[in-house]
Amino acid sequence: EETGEDENYEYGKGDFTEHACRYCGVQNPACVARCNVPSCRKWFCNSRGNTSGSHIVNHLVRAKHKEVCLHKDSPLGETILECYNCGCRNVFLLGFISAKAESVVVLLCREPCLSVNALKDMNWDLSQWCPLIDDRCFLQWLVKVRVFFSSGLLCFFSPPGDMLETFLNWLISCILQIPSEQEQLRARQISAQQINKVEELWKTNPDASLEDLEKPGVDDEPQPVVLKYEDAYQYQNVFAPLITLEADYDKMMKESQSKDNLTIRWDIGLNKKRIAYFVFPKEDNELRLVPGDELRLRYSGDAAHPAWQSVGHVIKLTAQEEVALELRASQGVPVDVNHGYSVDFVWKSTSFDRMQGAMKTFAVDETSVSGYIYHHLLGHEVEVQVVRNTLPRRFGAPGLPELNASQVFAVKSVLQKAVSLIQGPPGTGKTVTSAAIVYHMAKQGQGQVLVCAPSNVAVDQLAEKISATGLKVVRLCAKSREAVSSPVEHLTLHYQVRHLDTSEKSELHKLQQLKDEQGELSSSDEKKYKALKRATEREISQSADVICCTCVGAGDPRLLNFRFRQVLIDESTQATEPECLIPLVLGVKQVILVGDHCQLGPVIMCKKAARAGLAQSLFERLVLLGVKPFRLQVQYRMHPSLSEFPSNSFYEGTLQNGVTINERQSSGIDFPWPVPNRPMLFYVQMGQEEISASGTSYLNRTEAANVEKIVTTFLRSGVVPSQIGVITPYEGQRAYIVNYMSRNGSLRQQLYKEIEVASVDSFQGREKDYIILSCVRSNEHQGIGFLNDPRRLNVALTRARYGIVILGNPKVLSKQPLWNGLLTHYKVVMEMQEATLIKKAARENLTPTLSRRQQKVPIISIGKQPLQILHKGGCPAPQEHECLVEGPLNNLKQSMVQFQKPKKIYN
Amino acid sequence: DDEVHVRQKVVEVDPQEEAEFDRELRALMQESLDSRKLEVRARPTLNMMIPMNVFEGSTKDHHGRGVEGESGDETLDEETGRNKEVRVKVLVKRGNKQQTKQMYIPRDCSLVQSTKQKEAAELEE
Ligand SMILES: [Zn+2]
Ligand SMILES: [Zn+2]
Ligand SMILES: [Zn+2]
Repeated sequence: EETGEDENYEYGKGDFTEHACRYCGVQNPACVARCNVPSCRKWFCNSRGNTSGSHIVNHLVRAKHKEVCLHKDSPLGETILECYNCGCRNVFLLGFISAKAESVVVLLCREPCLSVNALKDMNWDLSQWCPLIDDRCFLQWLVKVRVFFSSGLLCFFSPPGDMLETFLNWLISCILQIPSEQEQLRARQISAQQINKVEELWKTNPDASLEDLEKPGVDDEPQPVVLKYEDAYQYQNVFAPLITLEADYDKMMKESQSKDNLTIRWDIGLNKKRIAYFVFPKEDNELRLVPGDELRLRYSGDAAHPAWQSVGHVIKLTAQEEVALELRASQGVPVDVNHGYSVDFVWKSTSFDRMQGAMKTFAVDETSVSGYIYHHLLGHEVEVQVVRNTLPRRFGAPGLPELNASQVFAVKSVLQKAVSLIQGPPGTGKTVTSAAIVYHMAKQGQGQVLVCAPSNVAVDQLAEKISATGLKVVRLCAKSREAVSSPVEHLTLHYQVRHLDTSEKSELHKLQQLKDEQGELSSSDEKKYKALKRATEREISQSADVICCTCVGAGDPRLLNFRFRQVLIDESTQATEPECLIPLVLGVKQVILVGDHCQLGPVIMCKKAARAGLAQSLFERLVLLGVKPFRLQVQYRMHPSLSEFPSNSFYEGTLQNGVTINERQSSGIDFPWPVPNRPMLFYVQMGQEEISASGTSYLNRTEAANVEKIVTTFLRSGVVPSQIGVITPYEGQRAYIVNYMSRNGSLRQQLYKEIEVASVDSFQGREKDYIILSCVRSNEHQGIGFLNDPRRLNVALTRARYGIVILGNPKVLSKQPLWNGLLTHYKVVMEMQEATLIKKAARENLTPTLSRRQQKVPIISIGKQPLQILHKGGCPAPQEHECLVEGPLNNLKQSMVQFQKPKKIYN
Repeated sequence: DDEVHVRQKVVEVDPQEEAEFDRELRALMQESLDSRKLEVRARPTLNMMIPMNVFEGSTKDHHGRGVEGESGDETLDEETGRNKEVRVKVLVKRGNKQQTKQMYIPRDCSLVQSTKQKEAAELEE
């Protein structure tokens, strides 16, 4: 049976060869020697790194081992170093002598052979005994040494024209003698302390590796991530334990998700496979199922039915929390039984294995990424590398909207850089920009372009846009997701394999049909089928200009032998570093990371791993290392009134509006916005928060009741359900609102069912015409939890196109400076002209003087601080445009609620 | 077009570590020497004849360079145009069999200096 998984596939290309230096990983046969002590037999190189003796000498001294054997591919071949005369193998006693007349040399021991006088009479020159170990290093012409650079600038380049041949000859002669320069630079930097530690460890565990030194104990906090790494081994040492922690936690969480007493509705899919429909009740804060997840369905049996179980993939989830599970095996399914089923989660380590594999490849395989990118990712100081490409005359692409100035600038700039970041604030068209970049890269003839994102949704969107430019796109889906419907189905590899209509494929199609009808094939047919399918998949993939898949999908065995010089990763700020690494280690020379580090990062379930920094994306680390992202500056989503606060608070006031007030006017919609033309409202709520039934989340009944009233008002005024999104940071509140609306909604129940109620986090990357945000938290002393994260507030405020309603308790929220700024913004909205002045002043680091007419003295905090305006003497300024309101919806009044002083400046 | 400029860190060896390592290394050498002096009482028999086939040029070259050259072949230093390395034959024993392997030794190695100086002098004449 084809499981559709790559279980037998070993992740991570390239391996430590047996003869790699056990300290630093150098594996050039000419540079290494083996310790010949039978219980040891480890290989070491003859270079020093940053220790006083060479690695082999270091080992011999520390372990008190004295015999050495050369590599079979070294100039001398596999040779145990020994005295030519007496066979003594103690390298500390050995040295070379040469014959008096001829160019012949032999190894001779210092005691006793060198002191035998008779040798002098035999044409040997004893005056020049040359010890094997000199200056704490083996003779360098016997065991080569990687060149050691104490400081300064290293430069490798290919010189132009006639210099090239001379240069190449020189290079070849170097390569024959010393490890490639890549290898020298990528070798692990081991310290004397580490050497002593690992030598100590080898005394009790001869097979231990350096990684074992770093392994944290069960109760230890893991090593935190850092900004710069010495080498890819250190990088792996830091990230591998964090991924393991997260994997263990994920496994534990998912495997505890069993549910009993489920009722099944049976159906048959178009592909003749059995589908089980059932409601999978999810309590708050628990993980959600996503399409592609694997579940085991069980029936314990009864008088008429034997016990039964089968594994299947989730292919669909309805808004009503109904799950569609496509079973792998159709035989023996008790379809006449509907009740009493149990379901378990089948945990897969695939994605974590691929991350670990990518890190290993990054460390071991020097062709995995270009030298430049290798050093750049590790945070080494590298001079900016210019990619010499002929730039296109136009930066837009066919089939895409015209690009604006900041988009053109981004496209043009990244095409000439080996590593670049593009920051796309909400609604700034990063998908179009990415598609244009991919279009131009594909036209450069450097081979196929790989396009990835952490989520399937984002990959589908990009694939669609890129395909619109006319490029040949293949969307590679995980095998477990092939039955999941996709908006770009025609681009998926599995669809193309099934529908590619050529005569050669007819054999495959025939077998496919047979398999679909019968459910299985004879073993010989199955073999033929698999081979044909693999060949067809390969052919289709190879003929594509662009391959699109998730970051984890880039580790799919079907891409095993593919190389991609150019990689673009969208939503990269939502991926962990090791996840981002998967698409990169396929030979990347040019990488573009697209994302927005001012929005939410990757979700890390394990607190320990999150604390250690696994939640920081590669994009963010590169920003911290000083890489300046190209920021897209024109937003096309929000009504200009809605973009103002996010622009000032999160993007230094740089967001410009690509839509006008008129384009975002909801004509014919009668909603009680307090200020005409300002579709924003903060609805003051004083109801208390409660802990949800699960004990791990929160809900707020008053807010939920008012959410229903607002939804009803929207619906009555002519807004359709698909235009409305209700978002809240808490799963407890989400579930409560769904429930409340379906029970208490005063309009047709179906209308409420069609309204999407989601967590803020899951709404990232999406938009709705109208957004209702329920803040939930309302307490005296507990604080505001999730709402503290400015990135979550940014996401929440930037989902709406036409209007936003926020429900919350200003007394509680105003303690946090950023929320205080938001509340002030809703309470006192300045006229646009003033706002522009203040922004300008803020940018130029000036203290602005404002409108004499109103005699306001605004205090502007510059940089990341929220915009705060206070009246002379510290009182709130006169309220002209009041969007902070309370009371019944049909009679909203300006709220007089007093804000609290923000506790500390948010940093 | 793969141009990489990397600023390497200045690596400093801890002088204390260096001194300690030196001490251990010397101790190991001394100990080796002393144990041999005690252990080997009888003078070893000599078995150091250079076999005839060494001069016949039938050696296997592991270095990937020409095998045809005369003994003492030299490679040219690209920068200075001067001879940088000389070829020597290393005599080893495999069990009781003698074998020679070709190797290149830096010209400035004390091992070859005396013989090479003589040869160079001859060449110049
Ligand atoms: Zn050893
Ligand atoms: Zn080494
Ligand atoms: Zn000897």
